[in-house]
Amino acid sequence: MINLIKLELFKIVTKPRSYLGFLAITVVVILIQFAFYVDGKQYIEFIFQALQNSFQIEGNILNGSLICFIILQMLIIQMPLLVALVTGDLVSGEAASGTIRLLLSKTYSRGQILWAKFIAGNIYTFALILWLGILALGIGLWVFGTGDLVVLKSDELVILRADDVIWRFLGAFFVAFFSLSVITTFSLMLSCFADNSITPIVASMSVIIIFTIIGTLDVQLFDTIKPALFTTHMIIWRNLFDNPLPTSQIVTSFAILFGHIVLFLSVAFWHFKRKDIQN
Amino acid sequence: MMKYKLFLFLIWCHGMNGSAQTPQELIAKVNKNFNGVKDYSADLMMNFSIPGVNIEPMAGKVFYKQPDKFRVRTKGIVFLPKQNPYYALALLKDTDAYTAVSGGMEEIQAVNCSVINIIPSKENDLILGKFWIDAANGLVIKSQLTTKSNGTVSIENTFGSMRTFALPDKIVFTIDVAKFKVPKAVAVDLNSKSAPKSGGNPKGTGIISLQFSKYVLNKKMTDDVFKD
Repeated sequence: MINLIKLELFKIVTKPRSYLGFLAITVVVILIQFAFYVDGKQYIEFIFQALQNSFQIEGNILNGSLICFIILQMLIIQMPLLVALVTGDLVSGEAASGTIRLLLSKTYSRGQILWAKFIAGNIYTFALILWLGILALGIGLWVFGTGDLVVLKSDELVILRADDVIWRFLGAFFVAFFSLSVITTFSLMLSCFADNSITPIVASMSVIIIFTIIGTLDVQLFDTIKPALFTTHMIIWRNLFDNPLPTSQIVTSFAILFGHIVLFLSVAFWHFKRKDIQN
Repeated sequence: MMKYKLFLFLIWCHGMNGSAQTPQELIAKVNKNFNGVKDYSADLMMNFSIPGVNIEPMAGKVFYKQPDKFRVRTKGIVFLPKQNPYYALALLKDTDAYTAVSGGMEEIQAVNCSVINIIPSKENDLILGKFWIDAANGLVIKSQLTTKSNGTVSIENTFGSMRTFALPDKIVFTIDVAKFKVPKAVAVDLNSKSAPKSGGNPKGTGIISLQFSKYVLNKKMTDDVFKD
């Protein structure tokens, strides 16, 4: 099984598109950090202008924690697209290139092969999140320094003390990984149904975009649908920065995301084991 | 008839007793009390109740030096009133800069206080100042300052062990605050939904409470501590 996972990882590593995600993250993070390094004070003044009329605000607001939080807010919405680009190709890519027949002719069962692809896809997702963490939090803290985190919300500011921040970021990265794991599984499932690379990737991206738009629209009609969409629960990483921590909400979202993973994986297994390989 | 006149005289005497000191005398007493403090440092505990801001209490250190240097040092982010707590006392020192008018008596914190209104005689940021002064001890129990730049700020002092130096154990600021709102796109808060807040002070007034302890007085403090 380990060899099979290594083989799947090797396939991911040798594909140029696997590096697009890393490249995109690097460019976006460095751009945001550079923009805040040059112009961050004006951004902070704009946000705090209503409060600065009444109060004198003491302390270093523009610190690495704030920059990392802003990067996460901006980037985590886009990361599912980067993940789907690679994981949507895991099975269908082999079907398209014809290597799936060779793979299935080995001594491994179809179940083992799919498990290996699922694990390899998650390792790739984890590597993306780890890279994001190193760039956003590591370099952010190094360049902008440490300090209390001002959690920006449209109608509220939550100020978390510096010694209460790092574990929340680690938790947020883990939750982000778990959320992206839903995308990994979803695109893997679609990949099992297709015989070309493009369809599952585009289908995954389309579903993510549609669900995100539905989640963003503040329309009553969608209120009943929203709790069932996995994209609604993928943003629970933000709840880790609430004070007090909404534990039950986090646990519920976690359970719903886990349910989605189980559902997508079950469908993927059910179909892949019965799949008629024709090319 | 005689009894009625005597009754009126007693009421007049009682009223005169409460405001026996003129506003100028009361202000001079307050200034004299506070003049004994050239500088001080103290430990500080800050509590906040600001609409739209969820912030936990914060400990710090406070430094003061005559006439108006005031600095709070903390390890984190804090919201402080724009005017330092001694802005009101600094105002009272320049007796030529205002006209003091007596506003009767009021009870604040179970202390019978003389109310003095301060009307600036020169062009000033201050529009009106109102002081509730404990006449017996020469302590400002409460002040309310209406300024052009910051609206109305109310400051309530609670005195304890350092009352002989006119230094409070606790100061509570009540400040008018505009509703905090940031565009969703600026806050990158695209998926949020407005929900009623459970905590904080929803009335549009921010309350900052400063609790002082371990005062150290008149140690000839240098100005370095007030620099950024």
